[in-house]
Amino acid sequence: MAALRQIAFYGKGGIGKSTTSQNTLASMAFYFDKNIMIVGCDPKADSTRLILHEKAQNTILQLAAEMGTVEDLELEDALKPGAGIFAPENPHGWIQCTESGGPEPGVGCAGRGVITAINFLEEEGAYEAEGLDFVSYDVLGDVVCGGFAMPIREGKAQEIYIVMSGEMMAMYAANNISKGILKYANTGGVRLAGLICNARMTDFEYDLAKALATDLGTHMIHFVPRNNIVQRAEIRRMTVVEYSPKADQALEYKELARKIIANDFKIIPTPLEMDDLEDLIMKFGLDLEADEDNIGKAEAEA
Amino acid sequence: MFILGFHFPADMGNDIPDAAVIAKLDEANVDTAGVNEIKMVTEYHGQKEELSYTNKDTFMFKALVHYVKTAETDYMIYTNRYQIAEISKRVDSDDETMALCKKFDSMAHFKITAA
Repeated sequence: MAALRQIAFYGKGGIGKSTTSQNTLASMAFYFDKNIMIVGCDPKADSTRLILHEKAQNTILQLAAEMGTVEDLELEDALKPGAGIFAPENPHGWIQCTESGGPEPGVGCAGRGVITAINFLEEEGAYEAEGLDFVSYDVLGDVVCGGFAMPIREGKAQEIYIVMSGEMMAMYAANNISKGILKYANTGGVRLAGLICNARMTDFEYDLAKALATDLGTHMIHFVPRNNIVQRAEIRRMTVVEYSPKADQALEYKELARKIIANDFKIIPTPLEMDDLEDLIMKFGLDLEADEDNIGKAEAEA
Repeated sequence: MFILGFHFPADMGNDIPDAAVIAKLDEANVDTAGVNEIKMVTEYHGQKEELSYTNKDTFMFKALVHYVKTAETDYMIYTNRYQIAEISKRVDSDDETMALCKKFDSMAHFKITAA
């Protein structure tokens, strides 16, 4: 039996991490028969909705609050089998889902839910499920908050995939997450396994994402194009793989899934200084507009 | 690393030489003999365009024939298309190929067949 691989998807809020991770993990289960546990580490608790066909799963923090303490919680209350083609009885791989949850907006530490959830899952033996191939953490935004760095910090997630795009803030977040990985790489063994460009279809996006990946010492493992079928599937609370397995976009996720399964390129990243990041964006992202004389000038002036 | 779908082991780093990719294509024994033309249909914001590519003496041609013969459908995976263009710009030089590279760099959706 192959060793359990613990992977994590990080990236700027709103970049499409949960959509990308669920579609990719769905492909790993459906096309490649991998058995997966998804641990949603986002207070929005939307990391599993496409697999469960539900609005939002009850989170470990919510359930613990209802029960009184997390010690009163049973694993089967918090870990739900995937719906449809991801259910345990189907002929392909299965997916199980849990969400850490978090406090009300503006109150408390959101990272606390992540810590509580992982400790709970470990104590309840969730990682020892028979046939489990992958554990995947879907983690909110930046790693400035130590709670969200928990899967990295404690050596839980071994390989990190950063979901980004050719937009500046997404690249800034990718670089920042790389700094977090670097910080814990020697103590916890975490490695950067690649960038996934969830394309916004901006100018020179492939070149820009690839250049950032190269500078970080990693690779852009896949460029996921924008396609409306993702939204159409999401409205039905489904992944593209389940909604339309022969669609072009399903092939994109299938290829990304194949690469993640075969990926052996895991490195300690070399994050960029802010000036270098700006230079990179100027060089590729803005290209024709990047003349220093034009900085701060409106389109009509430049 | 993955280029044109080929896996390159981690010890090769993140800067794979073009020669290594070309060697993988050679190892794949791409039979271009019976193929005289690559036909493509691109679509972007509802605008469709039909393209034809016939220069058999290029990396581009070999890579496209390999793609057509190994892909599940006629849809071109964006990453592979961008990578083909990226290498072709360095190893090919004729005008027909460079014009196709420029088309490949776009955000358009491509369907591809061999004739």
